[in-house]
Amino acid sequence: MRVGRWLLVLVPLVLLGLERPPVLPHAPAPDPRALVPRVVPIPPDNPQTPAKVELGRRLFYDPRLSLDGKVACASCHRPEFAFSDGGNPVSVGVFGREGTRNAPTLTNVAFRRRLFWEGRSPRLELQAVGPLTAHHEMGMEPEALARRLSSIPEYARAFQEVFGEPPSLKNVAFALAAFERTLLSYNSPFDRFVAGDDRALSPAALRGMELFFSERGDCFHCHVGPEFTDDEPRNTGLYTVYPDVGLARITGRDEDVGKFKTPTLRNVALTAPYMHDGSKKTLREVMEHYNRGGEPNLNADPLIRPLGLSESEVDDLVAFLESLTDAQFISNPALLPSR
Amino acid sequence: MRSWAVALWIGLWAGALAAPVELKVNLRVGEAPLEWGRVYQTPMGQRYRIDLLKFYISELALVRPDGKEVRVEGLALAEFRRGGPTQGVSVMRFEAPPGEYRGLRFDVGVPRELNHLDAATQELPLGVNSGMYWAWNPGYIFYRLEGTAFLGGKEEKWVVHMGTDAFRIPVRLHDLQMRRVRLEVPPRGTSLVLNLDVGRAFLPGPNGAFLDWQQPRLRQLHGMSPETAMVMAVVYYHMLSAFSLAR
Repeated sequence: MRVGRWLLVLVPLVLLGLERPPVLPHAPAPDPRALVPRVVPIPPDNPQTPAKVELGRRLFYDPRLSLDGKVACASCHRPEFAFSDGGNPVSVGVFGREGTRNAPTLTNVAFRRRLFWEGRSPRLELQAVGPLTAHHEMGMEPEALARRLSSIPEYARAFQEVFGEPPSLKNVAFALAAFERTLLSYNSPFDRFVAGDDRALSPAALRGMELFFSERGDCFHCHVGPEFTDDEPRNTGLYTVYPDVGLARITGRDEDVGKFKTPTLRNVALTAPYMHDGSKKTLREVMEHYNRGGEPNLNADPLIRPLGLSESEVDDLVAFLESLTDAQFISNPALLPSR
Repeated sequence: MRSWAVALWIGLWAGALAAPVELKVNLRVGEAPLEWGRVYQTPMGQRYRIDLLKFYISELALVRPDGKEVRVEGLALAEFRRGGPTQGVSVMRFEAPPGEYRGLRFDVGVPRELNHLDAATQELPLGVNSGMYWAWNPGYIFYRLEGTAFLGGKEEKWVVHMGTDAFRIPVRLHDLQMRRVRLEVPPRGTSLVLNLDVGRAFLPGPNGAFLDWQQPRLRQLHGMSPETAMVMAVVYYHMLSAFSLAR
């Protein structure tokens, strides 16, 4: 049984390790991008160029993209919180209009197969259109956005250089997507442990990792692989009656009520509060929710059940989740506003 | 000389086969033309203003007296903004054989085969620059009506975004049975004028449900969301009869 459990732990780790270049233990921390072994998928119609990424970075931090000139992408995706909304359960958009959902982290968003909490947007170029135009986010009409950016000489010039045409909503979304594909984070203590640094994880985090990848803790079935998510929508028994129906908002099906996309856990210690509505303030609250088996709900995923973990085991799981924090990711100058 | 005659013959035939037709729309609230900035009242006593209307027209066809159809390819995006015209606004141009018709039919919406393509690769009137792409719900908003409600001393924005394949609105303005509709397309071409009563969206449904802006969740009416589906179904029901042929 013990051997079986370790196999469950080791097989995913070995698979992760196979994808990574060897990193010597205790070596000076390399550039995070050097640790990225995965090939970022780039759509053929939006090739990545340095100029486009730079334009995307400028746009990402520019509040002039919003109707009242006060809300940038970075207002709700703040770099110091791993590009999430730093303590706010839901975000506030133009004219103080409040949203209904928690802004997710953009950590490794290039690898998300599905975007938004329902997971119904297939690519970053299309996803970006949502917040740019949504009434309670940035509230811009395509024509107004094009007019505003065209009136700013540096943008008019940059769009001409990058796209060979004036600013448009589509080009803004394409540039933002190019920048977002550089938000890569693979230098957490967990990554260093996988790369061979035996001292990267604390004893509590090691115990938590064993639980995480075990049938007892049962986290890894949904938070799977190097991205710690399978991008699938699930009902986690957060409520018996969901005020926000999730995936059912789109499908209209009863069985989809309360289903939201499984989020990545990379940098999760930086992205509180948690769940689609930011209703759980701390990782411990989240762990306690899963340990209890959630609230009764007919749509709850079959994996949601009382786990019977002790208090110290819950602490260990939290310690492991904290080991997924990549400190270099949030201070990487290439990802911060240009000076 | 002979080739001249052939060209003339072809030209005459082409003229007979295709006359230019322009589809125009008048916006109404009840019987009266819509006026931007004017405050109207719903049958349930709530005061509102219309700020924006955009919708797609597709699957257009003219219906011949024998029931056969002359189908028109393509789709159009009709746009009405504050300050712009609301009467006799040209929304689509096409060609049709001259002759007598018993009406027309079209859908408010985007055909399924276009609705689910990658919007980043589509051009206007589709595509992300249309202002109709629904980022979180792959596909387009078919009918986008936005305005302001005046609730006590407070102004609240509201939107009706009708979309998803289930909410494509079939508009049928033909009558073969009673022959009350007769459209003539002369060889020189014509305009077909529609009235659209935007106020019908605010009528109560047979079940008594209505678009009640006092309820914050009903100020954002989107697609098939079960939270608001009952009211969206009511709006859809009334939209089925919101278009008519102008006399």
